[in-house]
Formats: sequence, C-alpha cells, structure tokens
Amino acid sequence: MVTSAMTPTTNSPEALAESQEVLANAQLFERGCPKAAMSSKMQSSGSIAQARRTVQQLRLEASIERIKVSKASSDLMRYCGEHAKNDPLLMGIPASENPFKDKKPCTVL
Amino acid sequence: MACQGLQKGETLASLKTESDGLKKKLEVERGKLNDVELHQVAEKTEVLGALSIKTRRVLKGHGAKVLCMDWCKDKRRLVSSSQVRTSTDLWTREHGVSLPCTWVMACAYAPSGCAVACGGLDNKCSVIPLSLDKDENLAAKKKSVAMHTNYVSGCTFTNSDMQMLTSSGDGTCALWDVESGQLLQSFHGHTADVLSLDLAPSETGNTFVSGGCDRKANVWDMRSGQNIQSFESHESDINCVKYYPSGDAFASASDDATCRFYDLRADREVAVYQKDSIVFGASTVDFSLSGRLLFAGYNDYTINAWDVLKGNRVSILFGHENRVSRVKLSPDGTAICSASWDNTLRIWA
Repeated sequence: MVTSAMTPTTNSPEALAESQEVLANAQLFERGCPKAAMSSKMQSSGSIAQARRTVQQLRLEASIERIKVSKASSDLMRYCGEHAKNDPLLMGIPASENPFKDKKPCTVL
Repeated sequence: MACQGLQKGETLASLKTESDGLKKKLEVERGKLNDVELHQVAEKTEVLGALSIKTRRVLKGHGAKVLCMDWCKDKRRLVSSSQVRTSTDLWTREHGVSLPCTWVMACAYAPSGCAVACGGLDNKCSVIPLSLDKDENLAAKKKSVAMHTNYVSGCTFTNSDMQMLTSSGDGTCALWDVESGQLLQSFHGHTADVLSLDLAPSETGNTFVSGGCDRKANVWDMRSGQNIQSFESHESDINCVKYYPSGDAFASASDDATCRFYDLRADREVAVYQKDSIVFGASTVDFSLSGRLLFAGYNDYTINAWDVLKGNRVSILFGHENRVSRVKLSPDGTAICSASWDNTLRIWA
C-alpha cells in the first residue's frame, strides 16, 4: 500500500505548488542523485568568524597524536589475519552450508 | 552567525596565513610517520586466490531505480528503497511489505528489527514501526524524526532504536532522539552536501565518519559535535564512507573512480584502489567480515572486490544492468547485497 500524499486534488495555489514540487522531485530523482544542493551556498572565504573557526579546527587537527604507518599497517594485517578464517566470503563456504544455494527466483509483490 | 569584530593584530589575511601555515604543518607531521606503504608491509601476506562469489538471488519487484538498502540483524530481511516506494523484502518468502515513504534516498533497519527509518527529498527522516499484520495502517504510524533544510542522504540508528544519525544535502549531520524528535547534536564542518555517513563499530566508542561533495571525509565525536579528524585526498565527490571492522580505519568511494583507505591512528590515507581501466565513479563500499576484502559498486554497473592490504583487484562481479547504488555485507558476513538502478537487488555469496 503506497500512500500517494503527493497527488493534489484541487486547483488551489497550494495544490499547484505541491504539484510543481512533485515534478521537481521527480526530475531530481530521474537524474538519480540531487547533489550540489549546497553549491550555491558555498561560502566565500570572506568571513572573519569562519576564518577563525578554520584556524581553530586546524590547530586541533595538527595537535593529535599519530602512530607510524608501519605500526598501523601491521595492526591492520594482524586484524585481517585473526579474522580471516571466520570470513565466509574470503574462505568460501561449502554449498551445503550456503543458505543461498536454493536457486528459485524470488520476487516482491 | 554574527560576525565578531577583529581582535588586536588579527586580520582576515593574517588568519588565512595562519591557516595555510597549519595546513602545511599538518602535512609535514603526517609525512614524518609515513615510513612505509601498507602494500609493502602486506607483501609478506599470502596472495588471495580467486573468489567463488556469484549471484545467488535476484530480487525484483521495485518498479524503479533502487537507491538504498539495509540488512536486518536477523540476516534474512532487507529494507530497500527506490524512487517509488520503500519496501521490506522478506526474501525467503515471496511477499514484500510496501512502506508509505516516497522520494527515499536512505533507509535503515532499527537494531531491534521492529522499525525502519527512511528519508530523502522530503528533507526528513521518518521512522515506521513494522508489523506482521498486513492490513495495519503503516502510514498512520509513520513518525517524522529528523528535519533538515535539504535532502537526507544517509541515516543510521545508533546502538539502539532510540537514536538516529542523519546526513544531509544541507551540509550537516545530526543526531536525533527518535521518541521526541529532538535534535541532540549537530555536526558542522562540511562545505557542501554530505552524501554518506557510517557509525564506528561499537567497541571503538562514539564516533562516526562522513563524506561529501567537498571531497572531504570527516571523523566526528558524537557527544561533543567536534570534528576530530579530516581527510582530503579524493579528487571528486565522496559518495560513500565505511569503517573497517576494527574501527581503526575507514574506506571511501568517490566520483574520481577510486576508493581509498584511511588509517585513523596514522591519520592519513594508506591505500588507493584504482586501475587505469576503471573510469567510472564508485558509489558505494563495504568490507568483508575480516576486513581483507573491500567490495565497491561502480557506475559502470560492476562490483569490484579489492584486496585491502595488497591493493590489487581480486574479482569483478558482473550482473547488474545499470549503476550499482549500494553494496552491503549481511550481518553474519555470508553474503553481499547490491542495489542498482536496474530496479533489482542481487544477493552474492
């Protein structure tokens, strides 16, 4: 059951605006992704408050503690190694244990 | 926000100089610890053999592009959303339940499996309690929780049904109390649409990562609202971010046709997954259970499986007939579900 709250039934200005919005949304959806909604709001670098915020943020980021990539890498590798045997997609599981082995097509009503 | 007056000696130019200096310092500090590359350290690991992963199910039933999906913790149910409607598909049976939510770009199962959140072009994220009674009037029970000033691109429950995180085209992320709809925390810092977010695995505390059209991936402290770390190495929009299972790293997918891997403790990018032959944008990523494999969906209709440590591609999954919009590992790690603009979902195992 799909509610079609978007279909206006009168010719009032509200209904017209609503149907225009429906059309705009439909066009956005056709493209698949309404990105760049903010492009018109991209802030120029002119604001003092924003520049101050940027400096404060960068100070925080510059001051965090870091470890060497060699150490980070060996930790990542160790994690992968420890969990590899429990990773069904990595190891492959026998067909008898594969819950998806039934090849019957499945549809949604 | 009111513009405060200048402090003594401070000008816009001096602040700009200081921030440029800090950016340089950040680069230098990060560079000092870049003693070796991840793939070099990984040379001692065994090469992965061919994967035996293929399509096991094709779920039809959406009459339009499928934009998003999520698994239920019971490992058998999915929620998926398309241009037309949101439905929970009980894929082991043949019935699906359609939910009253349109223009949906993001959907998520509640941890209890008793509700679903969905949001999109209505600028809201709503929660719908699920019921086994097919005649139940779900539209009446639908409840608006999140209100943004632009489209909702991503949503996830936190560790309970009580709180929800959203990302939006308005450039912010937000944490909401589901019961009251109250805004608990908002996260400002992106300078363009935020397209994706992911919560850190619960063992690693209260952080999440977001990515967006400003090409940045930001890591946030959920309680304070603070942007803890920021990564800017992609050359185009970041469409998806996902934590590595240990919580110490995350991966991103971008319109620049690459996926990248960032280590949080080293505070830098440690791998780039790319090939000259891959020229279409990557829209989505997810890790296998051990974190060794990274599955990425692309706009050229394929899913590539990458060796996270060595950096090479291990497998290509063909099957979809249009862009892949979402890939997600099942809760027990036995399967990947992919959603596509070809109106179907596929289960790979």
